[in-house]
Amino acid sequence: MGFDDLRERLLRGGVAPRHVRRYLRELHEHLDDLTAQQRRAGYEGEDAAIRARARLGSDDELASAMLAQKQFRSWAARAPWLVFVILPPVVAVAIGMVFIGSLGLAGKYFGFLGTHAPSSPHWFQLLAADIVAACNLTAVPLSAILFVAIAARQRLKLIWPLIASLLLLLLLVQSKADFAAPGKSHLSIGLGLALLPWTKIRDNWFQIGPQYVAILLPVLWLWRRRLAKV
Amino acid sequence: MTENSSFMSGLPELAILRLLQDQEMYGYEIVQAIAARTGAVVSPGEGVIYPLLHGLEKSGALKSRRKTVGGRSRVYYTLTAKGAKRLGSLSNRWSELNGAVEALLAGGALGVR
Repeated sequence: MGFDDLRERLLRGGVAPRHVRRYLRELHEHLDDLTAQQRRAGYEGEDAAIRARARLGSDDELASAMLAQKQFRSWAARAPWLVFVILPPVVAVAIGMVFIGSLGLAGKYFGFLGTHAPSSPHWFQLLAADIVAACNLTAVPLSAILFVAIAARQRLKLIWPLIASLLLLLLLVQSKADFAAPGKSHLSIGLGLALLPWTKIRDNWFQIGPQYVAILLPVLWLWRRRLAKV
Repeated sequence: MTENSSFMSGLPELAILRLLQDQEMYGYEIVQAIAARTGAVVSPGEGVIYPLLHGLEKSGALKSRRKTVGGRSRVYYTLTAKGAKRLGSLSNRWSELNGAVEALLAGGALGVR
């Protein structure tokens, strides 16, 4: 006699997964005590278990009691727009700052940036391109997985992680670092908010394709999983 | 509660805070103690006590810790200073209500002009 239905109802009702886990764990422990009490009262096996479960309360009662406590609702359930619309750009900027910012620092350290700096050597430009690609193939898909995991755990509509993934895709796959020409003192870091031109996608599909797939794969996985359950 | 009416709201909270004033207890113990002390007049649907306990903990009225006793691991709850204050105010409210109900049931001249 598990609490699978109750778990689903609470998660769908917006209760944060950690509060659901704690509630169910204490219910399990309480049920063990009630079952032991029923056995002491002379009931055995399945009979004791059924009587104990009845005393614990119906799924309706147990769910209503928890759902009435609004403070246990997760942020993702309370404000999905905040988690899946506002947060992805923040994550995108943070990732961009870490990866591209570290490139900028490296450029400054090696003297490729500055008023009298020479142009950055070919190896550095290759390294920079590889690091940006690595960012797009690791950190960005991991962020997409994070948003999909939040939606999956909270049983939210598929549209939310899809929005988050598209925002990450639009913001981060577009990121680029322009290194200053000799004699210029700035490093330009760009975050685009538009799809790449079709010609660029066509010419670089072997680089861009895997990045798009890696970002959209988690949400596709969630979609397939939900379809399978239906 | 035997009845889930708004009239009874606040009573489970009062019962929990009062019981935990004396000693730390876990959920099952609290439910049994409430039923025993009230002659089962107040007998919560047992599992529904946990959201209430978690809510009281979140509001700072209770603290909890996991403790293993006799080979069983359970969450024990204790009253905090904030909880004691809350108990005081709830007790006063229920005493007033109790007095009012007793006066009502005693009947007598209304003295209404």
